[in-house]
Amino acid sequence: MTSLIPLIRNECLKIIKKKRFYIILLILVVLVPMFTYAQMRIADRNKDKFNSDWRLEIQQQITDNQNSLGSDRIPEEWKSYRKIFVQQLQYYLDHDVNPNEPSGVTFTREFLDNSVSLFIPLLIMAVASDLVSGERTTGTIKMLLTRPVKRWKVLFSKMAALLMFVSLIVLAAFVISYLISGLAFGYKGFNVPVFTGFQLNGDTVDMSAVHAVPQWKYLLMQGGLIWFVSVVVALLAFMVSVLVRSTAASIVVMMAALIAGTILTNMASAWTTAKYLFMVNLGLTGYLSGSPAPIEGMTLSFSMGVLAVWGILSVIISFAVFTKRDILN
Amino acid sequence: MNDSKWTWRAVSLISIAATILLLGGFVYAVKDILYPRGEALLTTLPQETAAPAAEADGVIKIVALGDSLAKGTGDNEGSGFVKRTIDDLTAKGSKANLIGNLGINGMTTAGLQSRLQQEGVKYALRQSNVILVSIGGNDLFRGSDLLGSSSKGQQIAAPETESTDSGSTGANTGSGLSAGGGMTGGAEGVEGAEGAEDVTPESLLAALPEAAKRLNTILERIAEINPEAQIFYMGLYNPFGDIPELLVPGNQAVTAWNNAAMDIINKHSNMTLVPTFDLFNRHLDKYLSSDHFHPNGDGYQRMSERIVQAVQ
Repeated sequence: MTSLIPLIRNECLKIIKKKRFYIILLILVVLVPMFTYAQMRIADRNKDKFNSDWRLEIQQQITDNQNSLGSDRIPEEWKSYRKIFVQQLQYYLDHDVNPNEPSGVTFTREFLDNSVSLFIPLLIMAVASDLVSGERTTGTIKMLLTRPVKRWKVLFSKMAALLMFVSLIVLAAFVISYLISGLAFGYKGFNVPVFTGFQLNGDTVDMSAVHAVPQWKYLLMQGGLIWFVSVVVALLAFMVSVLVRSTAASIVVMMAALIAGTILTNMASAWTTAKYLFMVNLGLTGYLSGSPAPIEGMTLSFSMGVLAVWGILSVIISFAVFTKRDILN
Repeated sequence: MNDSKWTWRAVSLISIAATILLLGGFVYAVKDILYPRGEALLTTLPQETAAPAAEADGVIKIVALGDSLAKGTGDNEGSGFVKRTIDDLTAKGSKANLIGNLGINGMTTAGLQSRLQQEGVKYALRQSNVILVSIGGNDLFRGSDLLGSSSKGQQIAAPETESTDSGSTGANTGSGLSAGGGMTGGAEGVEGAEGAEDVTPESLLAALPEAAKRLNTILERIAEINPEAQIFYMGLYNPFGDIPELLVPGNQAVTAWNNAAMDIINKHSNMTLVPTFDLFNRHLDKYLSSDHFHPNGDGYQRMSERIVQAVQ
């Protein structure tokens, strides 16, 4: 029995040689400064308006949101979003903690909160969608399968290499956004408290379990949740790349699914069965920050369960198909 | 070959380390969300006595407080009298800054009373030296009928909050709820004109004594929070003057209210009543917005001219 390690090593080197990982790093290095700059402009503007006093800014934000609650034209769901938001802001204000303390760490936290359901999965796809279908497009899959190695081992080594890169991509996203935004906002802020544990109940927030964690711990938790989401997305993209013959098609399939997910989360709270779709459940970090789930009845355990089922199913399908199917062209 | 050996080593080591780290974070996060430990609550209460506004450097720092008029509802430009006042002051060479516009649509005296318990509001008040207050219209014109039941509930709650005004955490949750009550009032405020049919002379005057009492506590509370600031209270006008059967009772009620307010304000040296009654009387078609209740841009402009005269 040939050991798996050399196979995994081989797959890893292939990913690196194909420069996919460098492209991901490059995307991060190009995009993060843009977001940083935009954020800096916002901060500058607010500084002018509120005499750089965040308490006044938060109070104004609360008032504005309360005012918009009065309007009849705003849908009920948005109102409950805002009511929750107002209560959380009030909690921060009452405890004299600035929720947006400008620092590289805060930027990283917010940037990753916003990128968990689309941006990071896209980066993951850049590696995952190509793994099997890429070999078929170039025809190298025949070379691979004529070796005296069992098919499941070939697939397993690919999957293992993919998971290694998932961790690397998540880590890189954190490190790069911290390093770049730190240039603008400073590298401090690891010990700034962040509140977590808001229990949402309709549009009221139960504060009994709220507790402060230092921001570095928050980042760690966030990283863990993003990693879980990324693994599931990677496994799904991997399955698609097994099923579909061309890389382009496999990327399009996954992208369509992800974008459908962001559209659905924005509008589908009436269609409750949509919560069993994986792409609606990608925003795991929302449970950490206390933002309401897109569809009634979604909790962390529920979302993780849905994601896990999708992930496991896609592994089973990948292996079943890959070990059985004839390689023709 | 040697090269790839090192890349492999580096990649595998870093990725294994990253995986372990992220897995640890994942387990920790799941545990923390499912079984939140409530003990580690950070109890930094906000500084009860935040540094008062920096000494008079000639800058006029304005906070607006109150109902939809403070917010500027009805002004097509969205400025309201607050922004217009600042613009006018700046145009006249003064330095004027907006610290915050805390006006909320549909706010009543009861709502504002509990809002004054909030630390954020107090903080903003302490940073300012000119406080513009507009309140009472909703008590007088709508509190009587449409919100009759809820304003009674708030009246009962009001004395309690007064006595516990420094117990901030408890008071704040309470005020959050009653602010919610104010919001439903705001929803009705949009269709304020429809309420006009229900307004009778008796109902207009019925709400007055209680509301005037609350206005008194509100103004004194503001003066207590920031003794240095000048408080400008916007007098009421009669928005129903164009309905013949409401012209006289409306005028009477508004005058009674304005007199009550004047009574309160005369007792304090740092308060001024800015009258608006005459600005709108017989000019409602020109200076009210299409909802027949709030001023339009020109109406707000007239109000702000008054304020500028009072401030300078």
